[in-house]
Amino acid sequence: MHRTADPQQALSRRGSNPSRAGAAVGFGLRVPHYDQILSHGLRADFAEAVSENFMGRGGRAFSVLERVRADMPIALHGVSLSVGGMTPLSGPYLDELRSLATRIDAFSVSDHLCFGTFGGHYAHDLWPLPYTEEAVEHVVERVQRVQDRLGRRLLLENVSSYLEYRASTLREWEFLSEVVTRADAGLLLDLNNVFVSAANHGFSAREYLAGLPTARVEQFHLAGHSDAGGYLFDDHGAPVSPAVWRLYEQAHELFGPRPTIIEWDERLPALATLEAEADQARALSKAVLAARHEARA
Amino acid sequence: MKLAELQDYFARAARSGSGPLPELERVFLGSHQLPAIDRMAIYNRGYFYRLLDSLASVFERTKWALGDAEFERVGLAYLAKYPSEHPAIERVGRSFSAYLHSIDAPAVIVDLAALEWARLCTLVAPNPVQVATVSSIEPRRFPDSQLRFVPSLHWLEVDPAALRIFAGEVPAPSSELRSSCGVAVWRKQHAVHHESLDETEFRALVSAAGGATVSRVCAIFDRGSEAEDVARAFQILSAWFGRSWLESVVSTGP
Repeated sequence: MHRTADPQQALSRRGSNPSRAGAAVGFGLRVPHYDQILSHGLRADFAEAVSENFMGRGGRAFSVLERVRADMPIALHGVSLSVGGMTPLSGPYLDELRSLATRIDAFSVSDHLCFGTFGGHYAHDLWPLPYTEEAVEHVVERVQRVQDRLGRRLLLENVSSYLEYRASTLREWEFLSEVVTRADAGLLLDLNNVFVSAANHGFSAREYLAGLPTARVEQFHLAGHSDAGGYLFDDHGAPVSPAVWRLYEQAHELFGPRPTIIEWDERLPALATLEAEADQARALSKAVLAARHEARA
Repeated sequence: MKLAELQDYFARAARSGSGPLPELERVFLGSHQLPAIDRMAIYNRGYFYRLLDSLASVFERTKWALGDAEFERVGLAYLAKYPSEHPAIERVGRSFSAYLHSIDAPAVIVDLAALEWARLCTLVAPNPVQVATVSSIEPRRFPDSQLRFVPSLHWLEVDPAALRIFAGEVPAPSSELRSSCGVAVWRKQHAVHHESLDETEFRALVSAAGGATVSRVCAIFDRGSEAEDVARAFQILSAWFGRSWLESVVSTGP
């Protein structure tokens, strides 16, 4: 029997005052942790699974998903949809994604606002789009087709980037806002990506957040990055930086608590480290809400 | 430039194996601290080395046998020629063994890569709808039945030396003499196993997987001694059930 698919709702049902419960916090399922997850489960409010690592698969991956889903909601997060790409959307891919989402009663389905295909091939990277009206129209049409095929709303994540097109006529946050609003999609706001891109392109992260449509922001991502000397590199290989924690705090003030995932891929530490990061996110979220409550009182 | 042209230009620049494309600075913004060429180089490195890492994680023993530098050289050449065709990154190695063959890599390395690919396919295969048991057999219909194997079972022919290298033996200097043996790769619980089969069992497996009825499969064990042939066929088919290789036994008769 699966538990409720909404982690924020689940948190409230556990007796916390919804106005002070803070964000539901979890982290991504990664292969080196599978054995421990299978034997001990996860200590999290919800988990995130990279869709392509579980689509059409059996064996250990399937068992991990079943094991985790028995305890908590799961958000599906894809990397290969290429929603901004010129390659036609793959029907079999979308059908398999829909089937997986249905099977685990996924809390949400998300992917990145970028392109990652060329001539029918996959780049397995998150390549930035030019921020133009033509690109808005192209992406909106594809997001709508994806949502129709999945039978649910898609969440789009802002990517970190190192390069901007001279052809762009919109700022990144204007582009993002236009796409999610016109396509009636949700926004998965990756605060580390905002911070990394702001540093690499010289814009204000605060201005970025302030320019987003509040009601569309449905989830947060947090992760670590590294200083590559001359630019910030989004490698998901370190703890969340103090500056990104501050941005998380600001995001709480602007958007309220939202289900939050801690991402970690490179130099993956033990689960306990991820749990500690999640605890920090939970504590910060509660502190912001408590301060807001006191200010109102 | 229109969206399609910009994406095409980006993809060519990110996958260029011969340095930056002309006019890159006219398409992308750069800064004094980080010019557009250096910015594109981040994506260029990311493209090749992310895929190379994935290739190395699937072909771990092949990499060990080739050595790090040679694996990187061959791997990058492969990736330039065979871009990914699958949304899951580890599937980029689908043609790696065939590529190694095409560049005249030693046969044992080609086979080692094929073995590692089969192991990946076994690892990620979907679970069977069911697993057939001996008790599910209808004795009267069994001879005319076909055997359906679970999706995770794979089989291939490899040089026995490839199995030894996989097990950790240092590769010997290549020999002119090419030999091969049939290997089955399967999943038990969550672990992937492989094992060489004797020639008769391998022929029987290939025949059964091709749709031959049980009686035709059993005929493969015919060596002229009825009692021994029946015992051998029974032993092999029982082992297939015991290893959970069979998804179902399908009656073909009326």
